[in-house]
Amino acid sequence: MNQIEQNTLRDGIHFRSVCDTKFKTFRISVNFFMPLKQKTAAANALLPYMLSRCSSEYPDYTAMSKKMASLYGASLSADVGKVGNTQVLTVLAGGIASRYTLQGEDTAGELTRVLCGALFSPVLENGLFREEDFRQEQRQTLEQIDAEYSDKRLFALKRCMETMCAGEAFGIDRYGTRDEVQALTREKVTQAWKDMLATARVEIAVLGDIDAAPVAKAFEKAFGAIERHYESLPLPKSAPCRSKVLRAADHQAVAQGKMVLGMRTGIAQFQKPEMVPAMRLMSAVFGGTPSSRLFLIVREQMSLCYYCSAAYNATNGLMFVQSGVEFDNMQKAEAAVLEQLKAVQQGDFTDEDFEAAKLALVDSYHTVEDSLSALEGWYLTQTFAPKVYSPEEYAALIGAVSREEVVQAAEGVCLDTVYCLKGQEDKKQ
Amino acid sequence: MSSLQERKIDRVGESYFETRHSSGLKIFIYPKPQSHSAYAVFGTNYGSIDNAFRRADEQEVTRVPNGIAHFLEHKMFENEDGVDTFARYAKTGANANAYTTFDKTCYLFSCSGHVYDSLQILLDFVQKPYFTKQTVQKEQGIIGQEIRMYDDDPSWQVLFNMLGGMYHTHPVKLDIAGSTDSIAKITPELLYECHHTFYNLNNMALCVVGNVEPDKVLAVCDKMLRPCEKVQVQRYFDPEPQSIVKPRVCAKGSVATPVFYYGFKEDAAVRATTREAAQTEILLQAISGDASALFRRLLDAGLINESSFDSEYFEGPGYANVLFSGESKDADAVAAEIQKEIASVRKNGLSSEQFENAKKSVYGRTVSGFNSVENLANGIIGAYFAGRSLAEDVEAIASVTEAEAEQRLQKQMLPQNAVLSIVEP
Repeated sequence: MNQIEQNTLRDGIHFRSVCDTKFKTFRISVNFFMPLKQKTAAANALLPYMLSRCSSEYPDYTAMSKKMASLYGASLSADVGKVGNTQVLTVLAGGIASRYTLQGEDTAGELTRVLCGALFSPVLENGLFREEDFRQEQRQTLEQIDAEYSDKRLFALKRCMETMCAGEAFGIDRYGTRDEVQALTREKVTQAWKDMLATARVEIAVLGDIDAAPVAKAFEKAFGAIERHYESLPLPKSAPCRSKVLRAADHQAVAQGKMVLGMRTGIAQFQKPEMVPAMRLMSAVFGGTPSSRLFLIVREQMSLCYYCSAAYNATNGLMFVQSGVEFDNMQKAEAAVLEQLKAVQQGDFTDEDFEAAKLALVDSYHTVEDSLSALEGWYLTQTFAPKVYSPEEYAALIGAVSREEVVQAAEGVCLDTVYCLKGQEDKKQ
Repeated sequence: MSSLQERKIDRVGESYFETRHSSGLKIFIYPKPQSHSAYAVFGTNYGSIDNAFRRADEQEVTRVPNGIAHFLEHKMFENEDGVDTFARYAKTGANANAYTTFDKTCYLFSCSGHVYDSLQILLDFVQKPYFTKQTVQKEQGIIGQEIRMYDDDPSWQVLFNMLGGMYHTHPVKLDIAGSTDSIAKITPELLYECHHTFYNLNNMALCVVGNVEPDKVLAVCDKMLRPCEKVQVQRYFDPEPQSIVKPRVCAKGSVATPVFYYGFKEDAAVRATTREAAQTEILLQAISGDASALFRRLLDAGLINESSFDSEYFEGPGYANVLFSGESKDADAVAAEIQKEIASVRKNGLSSEQFENAKKSVYGRTVSGFNSVENLANGIIGAYFAGRSLAEDVEAIASVTEAEAEQRLQKQMLPQNAVLSIVEP
């Protein structure tokens, strides 16, 4: 693999490239990190979608889509996510490398130009985003929020997160609320765009079969024309665990229940970072692999859940156990999950289980380097880490974790919130 | 040792090898020395639609409960010595899984190290069935839960409702996992019978992609593949009329916005060739892709959104159809617009810009697919069972002409074969 190149283009604008011709494609992602605040979340969330639909040069959705199609189905897409207590607004361009085109087109050069145009030179009318573009993205964002209701697994996870982290930045939805999106105006969103360019922490990633230097140059020039007022983002704060478990439930016409247990670990990139590898391994032993305790015992042996797994988020130090459970089994399943947590805390797992979790984790880190999207995600989630590791370096860290360190990491894990999605029948009883 | 034939894909500078092993197994090996990972898939040409079949050595058609292929997939992970297959993989660090589709069942793993040890495990457990009454009973409970989970998935419901509106007899309309009632009829004896019939190596294929050496893969195959009786089996389907069952199916579900599938049934006596499949992909891109006039009209009218509107060519043994899907407050209006657009293209043809851009898009998507070992392995196996070839795919797309695509449209997406399925709040 080629070397990772990292540098700072300007204050708060970081550029990272991992160029490798083993890929047939390339990706350029521009990620704007903004503080996650209730009053700005909705306007920010609309932005990447507004910016990726057209630009001064390709002034409507069809003109932009035709340009993308002529570049071999290249993509200009948008996303909104959360990392720690920040909202991440992403505009992403990707396509096949020039060497694989049918007529030798310069796909990378063209896409860089289109991407810069989209971010810095959108279609404005009297200084505001155009009404029809704004209405279109507002409608689609509302539909996106509504669609999350249909995915019960995701719905339950989100409800657990917002219940558990109410009052914390992480508890704010990446799209803001439905009402907030509904109440947006062109003025607010246009202002959010200006604020984003001037104040956000920007992480630009260039990956795959592409020469990164011209891309860096293009962004250096584009950001050079912006007056920046960058202030570094505050690190996430970690709330202590609740003394009494918080319980919440919703009732819908569903055939199978969902239960999500929200846990606080006290270990995150900003808090005891040296313990993060041990915590990752703890999560794998507990419920991250098919040889984990949640899979082998709660699902396979006890047949309590159709799925049951744990996922640890190192940027905020939270762990969520997600499960699909029959309504009648929810209490039993909760007790069984907690019993397995206790087992890990007491070191009650075999050396074999421990080695298997380690091997699975190390193996999965090595495969990150074979996927552009995985690589991008890998570096993005380390934006606030005190030290940035390559997947290979991280695999070595995991390899060095001892059993005792896993037990020590587990000791700090405590149950904070239990969320259940139940059926309508259950409500009547 | 079997002799390897190289399949070159010059346009993308790639190649892979294929051979038929003396045991009867078709083997594909695709070395990618720069890759950190490897991905192997061992599959059988046997899926949920195979609930009736005729073996060459038997007169009668055998009928088995719906959902048995998927049930068998679950049960294959248990072994006679009591050591679960996942526990065996745990020693190599591989990430293992399996899936059952309408027409195939595949077992797979991905890993970055210990690839030959993991391959040994894969070849071993898939060839060794072990079922007892007790383990079958337990699985009936677990799969019952899986079926209920899909009951809550509106995108699953809306697809099967559409297939039900389309097919009179073909089992593609049945849920891959079967129903709680049908899986209750599954016994260890039936599972052994299906394994013996469909998991014979002549009916299977193996594909390994990634940082592997062909000689070493073949050495593991020589060691692990067990000669087996060549069972010839024919898929059996009751006669399926050309007509649809009903043009519109509407159901209630737990959704916030209505979801829809709009499909066009096709004559599926013969499967599409690599070239025909490429023509259809390009047609769909031209008619309904992001750059199309149809997409723009639907978007401007607030009838679809970018994140869910999609189209695909969905075909297999005895079934073929073009599908449009998405979310919409008025799916009937979307269907009417789609009909209008197809009629117009059928009458007036595509513009050169429309065709060339669609072709480039499909070509670009296919080239991108070569990044992923997983995509390649599943693609090679899928193409092989369908009688097609991944090696020919890139060239087919690059050489499709506008006239060919337009000609293909004369036989596809006919208005009398359309079915609209909606799940609304």
